[in-house]
Amino acid sequence: MQEILKELDRRRDLAKLGGGEKRIEAQHRRGKLTARERIELLLDENSFEEWDIYVEHRCTDFGMGDNRIPGDGVVTGYGMINGRLVFVYSQDFTVFGGSLSEAHAEKICKVMDHAMKVGAPIIGISDSGGARIQEGVASLGGYAEVFQRNVMASGVVPQISMIMGPCAGGAVYSPAITDFIFMIQDTSYMFVTGPDVVKTVTHEIVTAEELGGAKTHTGKSGVADLAFENDVDAINRLRRFFDFLPLNNRSDVPERPTQDPADRLEKSLDSIIPANPNKPYDMKAVIGKIVDESDFFEIQSDYAKNIIIGFARMEGSTVGIVANQPLVLAGCLDIQSSIKAARFVRFCDAFSIPLITFVDVPGFMPGTAQEYGGIIKHGAKLLYAYAECTVPKITVITRKAYGGAYDVMASKHLRGDVNLAWPTAEIAVMGAKGAVEIIFRQDLDDAEKIERRTEEYKEKFANPFNASRRGYIDDVIQPSKTRKRICRSLVMLKTKQLENPWRKHGNIPL
Amino acid sequence: MIKKLLIANRGEIACRAIKTARKLGIQTIAVYSEADRDALHVSLADESYFIGESAPAKSYLNIPKIIEACIKCDADAVYPGYGFLSENEKFVEALDKEGIVFVGPTTHAISVMGDKITSKKMAENAGVNIIPGFIDILQDASHAVALANRIGYPVMLKASKGGGGKGMRIARTDEECREGFERAQSEAIASFGDGTMFVEKFVDQPRHIEIQLIADKHGNCLYLNERECSIQRRHQKVIEEAPSAFIDAETRRAMGEQAVALAHAVNYCSAGTVEFVVDGQRNFYFLEMNTRLQVEHPVTEYITGLDLIELMIKVANDEVLPLSQSDVQCKGWAIESRIYAEDPYRGFVPSIGRLSSFLTPEEGLNVRIDTGVESGSEISMFYDPMIAKLITWDEDRPRAIAQMQNALDNFRVEGVKSNTPFLASLLRHPRFQQARLTTAFIDEEYPSGFAVQIPENADVFVVAVATVHYQHRVRASLISGVLPGHEYTPSSEWVVVGEGLNQNVSVFEENGHYCVNLNDRNYIFESSPVIAHSIIRTKINGESYTFQIDRDGNRYSMYSNGYELCLSVYTRNEARCMELMPEKTVVDMSNFVVSPMPGLLISLSVEEGQRVETGEEIAVIEAMKMENILRAEKDGRVKKVFLQEGATVEPDQIIVEFSTEN
Repeated sequence: MQEILKELDRRRDLAKLGGGEKRIEAQHRRGKLTARERIELLLDENSFEEWDIYVEHRCTDFGMGDNRIPGDGVVTGYGMINGRLVFVYSQDFTVFGGSLSEAHAEKICKVMDHAMKVGAPIIGISDSGGARIQEGVASLGGYAEVFQRNVMASGVVPQISMIMGPCAGGAVYSPAITDFIFMIQDTSYMFVTGPDVVKTVTHEIVTAEELGGAKTHTGKSGVADLAFENDVDAINRLRRFFDFLPLNNRSDVPERPTQDPADRLEKSLDSIIPANPNKPYDMKAVIGKIVDESDFFEIQSDYAKNIIIGFARMEGSTVGIVANQPLVLAGCLDIQSSIKAARFVRFCDAFSIPLITFVDVPGFMPGTAQEYGGIIKHGAKLLYAYAECTVPKITVITRKAYGGAYDVMASKHLRGDVNLAWPTAEIAVMGAKGAVEIIFRQDLDDAEKIERRTEEYKEKFANPFNASRRGYIDDVIQPSKTRKRICRSLVMLKTKQLENPWRKHGNIPL
Repeated sequence: MIKKLLIANRGEIACRAIKTARKLGIQTIAVYSEADRDALHVSLADESYFIGESAPAKSYLNIPKIIEACIKCDADAVYPGYGFLSENEKFVEALDKEGIVFVGPTTHAISVMGDKITSKKMAENAGVNIIPGFIDILQDASHAVALANRIGYPVMLKASKGGGGKGMRIARTDEECREGFERAQSEAIASFGDGTMFVEKFVDQPRHIEIQLIADKHGNCLYLNERECSIQRRHQKVIEEAPSAFIDAETRRAMGEQAVALAHAVNYCSAGTVEFVVDGQRNFYFLEMNTRLQVEHPVTEYITGLDLIELMIKVANDEVLPLSQSDVQCKGWAIESRIYAEDPYRGFVPSIGRLSSFLTPEEGLNVRIDTGVESGSEISMFYDPMIAKLITWDEDRPRAIAQMQNALDNFRVEGVKSNTPFLASLLRHPRFQQARLTTAFIDEEYPSGFAVQIPENADVFVVAVATVHYQHRVRASLISGVLPGHEYTPSSEWVVVGEGLNQNVSVFEENGHYCVNLNDRNYIFESSPVIAHSIIRTKINGESYTFQIDRDGNRYSMYSNGYELCLSVYTRNEARCMELMPEKTVVDMSNFVVSPMPGLLISLSVEEGQRVETGEEIAVIEAMKMENILRAEKDGRVKKVFLQEGATVEPDQIIVEFSTEN
């Protein structure tokens, strides 16, 4: 028996070395941790249960028959983050460059299937050169098996992708389907076709970093949600992020104790809206003052900055925040911001996370670029997402809520549960000047008349009371009491029951 | 009898005056400019009146507008505060014409004392000690240089109407004299509308000590002891105290009596201050008389137990002073720190913006706060960047200092930068504690400016950050949805990294406090609640510390007693992995001259292709009424000029790029 146990240890130790000392060193030299080091940092100490450590590929072509490494380039299993269950897979770049073989894909599928069965999130760490070319179509099949599971898991358990090295070709479509993609500055990149192919086809000369680095995807393409400084920082923040997420679509949002009182008054909010309606202010400052402990985990912070999305807590429970940002493009809704917010609203709805929407929106962005780009269809995504969603919805209009954008931003008419307005709110079809110039077109030459009409319009609509009279706004509140009012509303809405009619699925304007 | 008082000022002094008026049952009227619509003084007053655009010349210095406010609001008196119209005889004349009482001295006293040259003559005649110098008005820069050479350097160039550090320059060479004259004069014209300049001997090793006076209209004048205001930066007072550690009873009496003699000479009738410069031998010389209540009056109020604004109002009501010289107390020790919205780490440039949070220590017997702002206030570029005065009192100087240190640790300003780290650094300076002061203290002790202060022994910071992090980890373990049997137990072993430190720390919880082991030493850590609080009060091995903490995950910015440290807390495993992480390269900005603050680019001294030497003037930026000179930090050639004179600049905006090659 001793011998047998020794053999077990030997095999295990060998497997744990992955591609061997030399390759581990090379990985470290690139500023990257190994697949196992990443898992160890991610999960609570000693909580990782590894599966399939002895799995090997079955390929015999191109000399692969003699080249087998146990584990086959991916470390899989489950463990805990602050005591909560999570399934993980972490590609091992030291083994065949982390390339995906049939066996490698099977390992990933196994943990995904288990995650679905027990209802626990999946975190995938990508660090892979791509398909195992020697395996040909078997490798492609492997990818598709993973994609299929990504789709099936979507909206059932949260899926998070950590891109911690290369992720190229078909491989990108697994992260693309998952709920969140995080990248590492300088050491990770994602693209469908690499710089070499790009050069041949389109004659563009571009580096891998420019084409698909963290900066590109968090700022330009919006593919990735956040970029982190390095592996350790990324994993640390991922643990923090994980604490906001429910485990699955039937579980409650996580709760944890806080010392931040629910009825905390925030006097500074009473003066945050500038006297001049054309002067911006930072909506993030508003959010920071309202949520628990000023702890707001913003995502997609470098993309479509005219809208803010992210997670926070109220009285210890997770909420999703959507807010117009007057600092950027006056907080206008455009194609990018609509898509960004729509997907976030749907994530929150899928996982029963209440939504708090802060509104200061002068309308949709005008212009040919927007119209040609399909703002009609893309703007409709956000409208659709808000209208479809059944989680508790609380809306606070801080200043402007003009035109169609008022409707879109979780208005009463889209089944907003509690719609509040600050006294500075202006709920109207458009700004007073524009409105008067249309209604009183015939008086355009008479500046004095126009001015008087503008004042009249302002008096009528540049306040929250006209909307309140109709019940579109449930109450006009003192800004300093916003936290208290939201906390109370959330408690009241805890038992909210609302179901959409049965259907196979709706047809969101994709 | 004054029934309705208009306060022709803003900020803390307006709020301060409203308090006293309210105590005396007097109705108050605030006036405000565009920028001050939502200011605290407006909401505190019984009534308020809008007086115009934000620029002081259009509002707080606009005499007709303020007179209009008085008439519209039925004010029977005006309290001017300091600065603005407080020493403006035309304003007083205009009030007299309308039959409105000015809570302050007569136009005669203001005009005589407002002019540095006539005031000096008057003082000399009244038997007050005078500094050697020439009282001629300077014609131009060359005249200044000629007179400076006759007096002998160093000299002080002063605007006749100058004050508060504006329109003053020290010169030690002809070149500095020339440049100083120009700058001081242009500042004086911009700030006071009068470019009259003179020059005098600059006294070395000087201390700034001043006598507070109060006089009534019945010939009574008292001196309310002295204040020492030697801690100054660019002639702007930073820390003041009363009494002065340098003054003995005899000198106090001599200074007091001379000050009273001067007041009698101009039939003075209100609160006023006679400023002296005192040399190492306790020789004192008259500097000037301020015919108003000064910023630092609270220290005098603390040691005398008097309310100076109350006395000013009584005097204005023609009442006889309710006390005599022998009733004037000098009890304990009071210190005042001026809290400025400025960045001490970037050459004290004004910091403007919204005060997103303004937390102050609790007021009481030992702590007083005079402020005109609150959380959410806007610090505008139009006015003085002083946002508050923190005053502490105790039985003696060391204890008053300790009170101040503690109060400062509990003072937290967010949204704009403040000088509190600098104040804390001054207070713990051995020379300050030993009261070995001169007005050059800051220049001598901080010759290359003020940088982030890191304590020699950071153990308490390490202990605090590890314990705070541990508590956050414990809280993280309390999340719902934990799989039974798999609960997360935070490790007790941590590594604190940052500021050149890399220390292993263990933290255990025991009977409601924490036991921390660092470098084989045990610490007992007790504290106020940590989570959701940015200020935590702790006892570490029985000694009290207050920390201000900003947290971002495992990264902490820790502030206490003027020290500031950025520390990260890692598990042992994370710390090991961190060593494998590559250093991020930082962009080299040394070839760029960037604007340190928002303001106006009023002059640009270089053009593209020009060679410049270290220290050469590149540009001048005007912000908050001050001209700030940007100088070359190294030798080089100007590669590109990005902005034109007259441009508005944002902080960190690039003005000029250098190339280092010749």
